[in-house]
Amino acid sequence: MREIRGMKRFKSIVAAGFAVLIAASYVMPAVTASAVSSAALSIVPKKNYVIEPGKSVKDTLIIRNLDDKIPLILTLRAVDFTFTDDGGTPKLMLDPNAPQTTWSLRPFMTIPKNVTVAPGSSKTVDMSVSIPAGHGAGSYYSAIVYSSGSGEGGNVGLSASGVTLAFVTIPGKVNEDLQLQKFGIYKPAKLSGEQGNFMFITTEMPQMIAYNLKNNGNVTEAPVGNITLTNMFGQKQTIDDINPNRSLALIGQSRTFPSCIKLKTQDVNFNNRTTKTADCESPSLWPGMYTATLDAFYGQNGNNTKEIIRTATFWYLPWWFILLVLVVLAVAGYYVWRIVRRIKYGRPGPRTKSSRQK
Amino acid sequence: MFSWRHMLSEEGIALLLVLFVFAAPVAAATRLQERSLFMQSDEPGVTTSYTVSYRYATPQPVGSVDMLFCNDPIPYHPCVAPTGLNVSGAVLSHQGGETGFSILSKTTNHIVLTRIPGMVSNDLSTYTFDNIINPTDASQAFSIRLRTHDTTDATGSQIDFGSVRGQVASGIALETQVPPMLVFCVAQQVEDDCVGTNDNFYTDMGELSPKETLTAQSQMAVGTNASGGFAITANGIPMSAGNSVIDSPAIPTESKKGTNQFGINLVANNTPAVGEDPQGIWANAVASPDYGIPDHYKYTPGDVVAYSPNVSLMKKFTVSYIVNSSDNLRAGVYTTTITYIASGRF
Repeated sequence: MREIRGMKRFKSIVAAGFAVLIAASYVMPAVTASAVSSAALSIVPKKNYVIEPGKSVKDTLIIRNLDDKIPLILTLRAVDFTFTDDGGTPKLMLDPNAPQTTWSLRPFMTIPKNVTVAPGSSKTVDMSVSIPAGHGAGSYYSAIVYSSGSGEGGNVGLSASGVTLAFVTIPGKVNEDLQLQKFGIYKPAKLSGEQGNFMFITTEMPQMIAYNLKNNGNVTEAPVGNITLTNMFGQKQTIDDINPNRSLALIGQSRTFPSCIKLKTQDVNFNNRTTKTADCESPSLWPGMYTATLDAFYGQNGNNTKEIIRTATFWYLPWWFILLVLVVLAVAGYYVWRIVRRIKYGRPGPRTKSSRQK
Repeated sequence: MFSWRHMLSEEGIALLLVLFVFAAPVAAATRLQERSLFMQSDEPGVTTSYTVSYRYATPQPVGSVDMLFCNDPIPYHPCVAPTGLNVSGAVLSHQGGETGFSILSKTTNHIVLTRIPGMVSNDLSTYTFDNIINPTDASQAFSIRLRTHDTTDATGSQIDFGSVRGQVASGIALETQVPPMLVFCVAQQVEDDCVGTNDNFYTDMGELSPKETLTAQSQMAVGTNASGGFAITANGIPMSAGNSVIDSPAIPTESKKGTNQFGINLVANNTPAVGEDPQGIWANAVASPDYGIPDHYKYTPGDVVAYSPNVSLMKKFTVSYIVNSSDNLRAGVYTTTITYIASGRF
């Protein structure tokens, strides 16, 4: 009897459970597979560490889910990266079978594999980097990729990922070798597809001077120094900081470092934090020839400080100035021609008011 | 009788040239060689020791060495002392190579070494100073401007000069006072500042037809206060059904009905009418050149589709997708998942 009653009770519990499930499926809003994870996040874009061999660093990654309706479900993994071109855009090696680079930080880095962040909130996750004892000095870097789930259904699914670039410097004697490849006025890439290039003559007001350095060493380098610009009359103006963003030349990269001739800075509000921004403004140069002198320094702690000095010349010749010069030359030529004619053939020179009266 | 013609003779000019060539180097200062700075600790604000090393370049008697600590390494520029640095308590604890020096004077950012003037050798010279307080600003390098003099008090003309570079670096993370962040969101529709999206992460483009161009659009917003800016890449294979992949142009190309073509761009288009121009006042965040031409579409996995070279407030990009198909396209359900990856720049 007790067993029969127990069975009946079990059946009624199961039936009630099914009823609740069926009711819930009608009452609760339909959740599509695409709504599994948010695709709105805030992360730290870059981390830098200096770690001696045999030591480790424990740090945290702060991830914020900006979506206040659904959770942010992330998969984390470390990948290697290199440079895309002569700028600062990383080329991520996303292929799981990609060979490990010689500068890879992956073997030394520990990060969680999965993170879920509740809607509208932040989560701090632990990470660590451990450098084995006796490891050689140099720069090591990899990227942490935070991947959200992808949308399912339809023809085009969307997915968002964020990336934190992690750099480690292991102090000690390193091989540092930056070779200057180009230096001069620089026209940055344009939206029309025109690539950035160095110029000797320009008809547009130059706003940037740049230098290109090839990094043949085994460490990333962030040069510092100045550029002095001198016009034909000896007047000088100085670009005080030739690397204001502390940009890096990665191992093997030929990196172009552009600097504004005249820098305009302003404070702006970004997510309730005051941030300083910098942009180029017109340096108001006069037409003519200019000489630019680069004096750049680089060198890790305990290694030789190396200095790169180079002078470049360029011409700023706007169209209005070229036209003006042509007009002046034409007028001067005309008067010279008239004078020559008068001397040679005794014919009258340029007509003047007095000559016409005669 | 004296004649100016004698002065302008070939012999006279040659004499002037010889004088110029041989006299100029004596007067001109040269750079100290193999200069380096080793900071025993590079933690900001700690008391530590510095070792400055170099080779004297000019074989002349040296009686003093001037060491000026500045942010800027250029000797003739105004000197701004590194924030937090203090060398007023420095002690010369060790010297090698050219020796016999003692500290003549010291201030917060200035040390003068003195000795009885003596001829220098070509050996590497090292000077270690204890009790130096490191700068506190880890975001900026600093320099020690070095000058040698034949006088004992670093006055008069300099013999050699040169700068060494140093930088403090926190063992945990070298960041500025305001932590950098990268804000990024993707969906069919997003708000300008990423505080909301419509949480729809896919779109159905309809049925493929050789007579029709199928279109769709999605949006993404991005911003960063990191000084290096950001880059967004588009990743994933073009639309495919099994092994059949719809070609995507490798260069920006107009939409052509009746051909197999999958492409995207990030601007407003007329043919077909789809998409919007980037929205937001911040001008330095832009679509990449190949993806910023109206009515021209391209898709190469891994391409940078939008970027900013420096700090950028929030900017919203609308991505347009077009698909064309030919008669001979194999039947099937063609799908793709595009993963947009936002990263900082280095």
